[in-house]
Amino acid sequence: MEDPVERKQVTEERDLHPLEEKLLVYLKENGGSSDTEIIEKSDLPDEGSYRRAAEWLLSRELVTEVSRDEEEFVELGPLGIVNLEAGVTPELAMLREVAGGAASLQDIQKSTVFDRGRWGSAFGSLMKTGHLTKDAAGIHLSCGSEETVFGKVWDLVYKPLSGGGELKMASLPGDVVSVINDRSPKRGKSRAEFSINIVVTRMLDITEAGCIALSAAKENTTIGAITPQVLADGSWRSAKFRRYQLDIPPSQIHTGRLHPYRQFLDTVRKRFMALGFTEMRGSLAENEFWNNDALFMPQFHPARDIHDVYFLGDGFRVPPPDGGLMERVAEAHENGGNTGGRGWNYSFSRQQSLQTILRSQGTALSARTLASNPEIPGKYFGIARCFRYDQVDTTHLPDFFQVEGIVLGEQINLRHLLGLLKLFAQEIAGASDYKFLPGYFPFTEPSVEMHIKHPVLGWVEGGGAGLFRPEVCRPLGIDVPVIAWGLGLDRMAMLAMGIEDIRDLVTPDLSKLRGIMVQTDRLLLGKGD
Amino acid sequence: MPKIEVSRQDLFAQARIEDPGDEKLADLLSLVKGEIDTSDGDMLKLELNDTNRPDLWCVEGVARTLRCWNSGAERHLNELPEPDMDIFVDPDLDEVRPFVAAFTASGWAPDQRELDALIDVQEKLATSFGKNRKTAGAGFYRLDDIEFPISYRAASPETSFVPLGCEKEMTLSEILTETETGRTYAHLLEGKDLLPLLEDSGGNILSFPPILNSQTTGRVRAGDSRLFCEVTGTDWETVQLSATILACNLQDRGAVILPIRINYPESYPGKTVVTPVIFSDRLTASMESIHEVLGMDISPESAQKALLRMDYASVELDGTGVTGILPPYRRDGIHAVDMIEDIVISLGFSYFEPLLPEQFTLGKCAPIEDLADAVRILLAGARCEEILRPVLTSRAKVKNLTRTPSDPISIANPMTAEYGVVRNTLLPGLLEVESTSAHAAYPHRIFETGEVLTACEDGYCRTDILLACLICGNKADFGDAHSIIGSLCHSRAVGLSLADIDDERFIPGRCASIIIDGRVSGVIGELHPAVLDNWGISSPASAFEIALSSLKG
Repeated sequence: MEDPVERKQVTEERDLHPLEEKLLVYLKENGGSSDTEIIEKSDLPDEGSYRRAAEWLLSRELVTEVSRDEEEFVELGPLGIVNLEAGVTPELAMLREVAGGAASLQDIQKSTVFDRGRWGSAFGSLMKTGHLTKDAAGIHLSCGSEETVFGKVWDLVYKPLSGGGELKMASLPGDVVSVINDRSPKRGKSRAEFSINIVVTRMLDITEAGCIALSAAKENTTIGAITPQVLADGSWRSAKFRRYQLDIPPSQIHTGRLHPYRQFLDTVRKRFMALGFTEMRGSLAENEFWNNDALFMPQFHPARDIHDVYFLGDGFRVPPPDGGLMERVAEAHENGGNTGGRGWNYSFSRQQSLQTILRSQGTALSARTLASNPEIPGKYFGIARCFRYDQVDTTHLPDFFQVEGIVLGEQINLRHLLGLLKLFAQEIAGASDYKFLPGYFPFTEPSVEMHIKHPVLGWVEGGGAGLFRPEVCRPLGIDVPVIAWGLGLDRMAMLAMGIEDIRDLVTPDLSKLRGIMVQTDRLLLGKGD
Repeated sequence: MPKIEVSRQDLFAQARIEDPGDEKLADLLSLVKGEIDTSDGDMLKLELNDTNRPDLWCVEGVARTLRCWNSGAERHLNELPEPDMDIFVDPDLDEVRPFVAAFTASGWAPDQRELDALIDVQEKLATSFGKNRKTAGAGFYRLDDIEFPISYRAASPETSFVPLGCEKEMTLSEILTETETGRTYAHLLEGKDLLPLLEDSGGNILSFPPILNSQTTGRVRAGDSRLFCEVTGTDWETVQLSATILACNLQDRGAVILPIRINYPESYPGKTVVTPVIFSDRLTASMESIHEVLGMDISPESAQKALLRMDYASVELDGTGVTGILPPYRRDGIHAVDMIEDIVISLGFSYFEPLLPEQFTLGKCAPIEDLADAVRILLAGARCEEILRPVLTSRAKVKNLTRTPSDPISIANPMTAEYGVVRNTLLPGLLEVESTSAHAAYPHRIFETGEVLTACEDGYCRTDILLACLICGNKADFGDAHSIIGSLCHSRAVGLSLADIDDERFIPGRCASIIIDGRVSGVIGELHPAVLDNWGISSPASAFEIALSSLKG
């Protein structure tokens, strides 16, 4: 928190605002003056400007309040205006009716000048003030009809206000004032006869500090907003710049920006490219051949089940692989073919191989790259959207991002695989510690799983890897060892973005999205640090 | 991934090691590609990652691996005598459930906990390895109640016996409809006129595999020390390996295993089979190929030692290479690299010093991603916020709510209609953002570049990258969308023109084809109030969508 003393000082040192300066100048020249005088005669543009300048200066003690008077003014309320239009008040009218012989309220209420309610309340008032009395014979006057306070009210208030405006309460006799006070409720003004306004008149005068501030200000021309005029005429050369109060909160702006998850993915891509990897692209729809068969996943593998993969209808296909390639892969599955192994020993279905599915693993990209004459030595990576047969909840989305890749070359071996994973842990994820565990993937042998240490969460999965089996490489025409690796990115992105519900990665809620940040220079640590 | 629950005490007693604590155990579990899922008192829940090693999905298998790694290979199912018990298989089972494997185990009397563990293994094998009892399912019986030979025959559905857990006789068809287990597995025998039955020579029915055992012979109690075990199924390999794994487990527990001869009908190739089958898969790797994978030299002797610690049945050296024979409970070795991985696991990854690949390679961005990056930056500069939406969506969002003219590609086996199609346009995703963001400060200028799947005329489906941009707010109009695409085209130095079209998504007369460098590349317009209304959007909006590649120039 800031120091309040420090803050006050800054305020006091603040230069005079142009409005403040105008007010001080007027007071310096004219001495103590009332609000109305200042508003009418000073250079201040309007009453609002005057009041703001006065408040600022009072709080800085550059002006002082010499005196403060509150004056009450009366004007006619809605009922009063009705009375004025009728030319009489209900009380006066009732006194005249009684004087003219009316003996009961019912008789008087036959007159439609006022409604029954107003006649009734007038009767109540006159009984209360003792102008009327009531006995078995009816109602009677107890005084002359014109010499009552109600007559005075008509003469002293209604008549002068018949053209609108207001009257000083202080100029009216006491009994009239008390009637007015009784009939000008603070609430229910729409049924009020009168309305009272209080006008505060204060006298302000400049203080000694005000004189000093003013003469200091006069020595320099102070400049607020820098205008082209100020720049053009050179007045800034001799001017002083008004100091601004700088610690008020800034106004919010909505910038254009890249999506936080895309920023995260961009960073991952940049880092792989910096390590000499070429980016691969693929298709959302694949046939089973590229997604599974080329990766030596047997057709009976449980992960190929209808409950694990999304199939597209018969009408939607992707181009089939070259026939010779299909045969080599089929042989590898059935009996090992030319791979040096004995295969999975089952009857390979070419028809199943051509079924169209939504890509379930990014490794499909690697299989396609291997089959299309890659550079040797070569390093490839791709970020692929993959599809998983899961109910959507806080930890599962129907589609998710994987980063996937291969490294191929004559001399590539297990130690390079470990070296590469170590590099990923340190350079891509920014992890301080990592460990290797044996893993199992149908397409790699040996297989490794890496775990990386998160500063808060402890060990988290850092991806799977291995050397592609000869049964994968040989049918695709690759005779050198190939390192393959892959990693689901959603979990790591959630850590980096500081979110706990995976659905927030693709939220449609713009205000939520605006609140998600990612620190692209600290991928693993994110907000967990 | 299979998960199993084991007793800690049982695990370490069988492994013959002191309880090392969870942290050290986690390291040891590398040997079985396993991880600790939960650890609670004596209960350990383990996750086993190797889907090709059903022998490891039980406490016996995990314990055996740890034990052998410490004290060397063991001999499993070694020197079994000639079988003197027989099972005869009915030719009519050929179309029903043709295969059976069986053995007896005597001399080990399980207590209740050990018996429970045995039943767990039986269940785990049948469920995870035997595809829910289809390809293989096992059963245990009291040996003393059985008269050999046994007949594995095809029986009429009207055959009856007292099933396990019941008091009265039921016919086979009643068992399938009236018992819970029967109903669960009835689909395995659907449409069969005859049903599988195990019956001994005394006419006692042992079981109706793979549904229920009999109440009399098929109920094993704690303390029973003479057991008969059978596995039946539709897949020869799965049936045999399940039986062999169970036999190895019982032998590890201290039982004496005796084999049984299975007599198949005349027509069956290899008419008799002695079970449990002693598998002995042989793998050979040259020292050179081992070196190529490991990236370092190890001596033939250390390779041999490493494999014996992995319980290989035998490892022979012939001067140029290593020949290993896998233990009988393993059939996952189909290439020399599988044996080489066992050497790696036995030695541990810490044995291998990591190296970086030395060859020089260039880092390169995919051209379409390079373009996407350039365009995304331009749009952010035009004060647009980037959106990321799922690729899977619903037909209702694409068609009914947005009124997209073209049809998205449907998934044949969707999990829910909510994610039943692959998007073919990005606009519904952006409209959904608007429909949920009325409380976010306006104006909204949002865009997405992303993959869509398009059905082409040649019958193939193609992945395209589109760019869509939407402006929504009190004063949003055609001009807003037009000025953004205009500035994009200017920055990309491509020519932009518009041609009036009719498109239900947009207001007639405020909607056009976007033509970039003479090619129709997308659409632009003020969204039709009906579309806004469908989505519950209460401010006007304009949008455009184009093929990203059209901005390549």
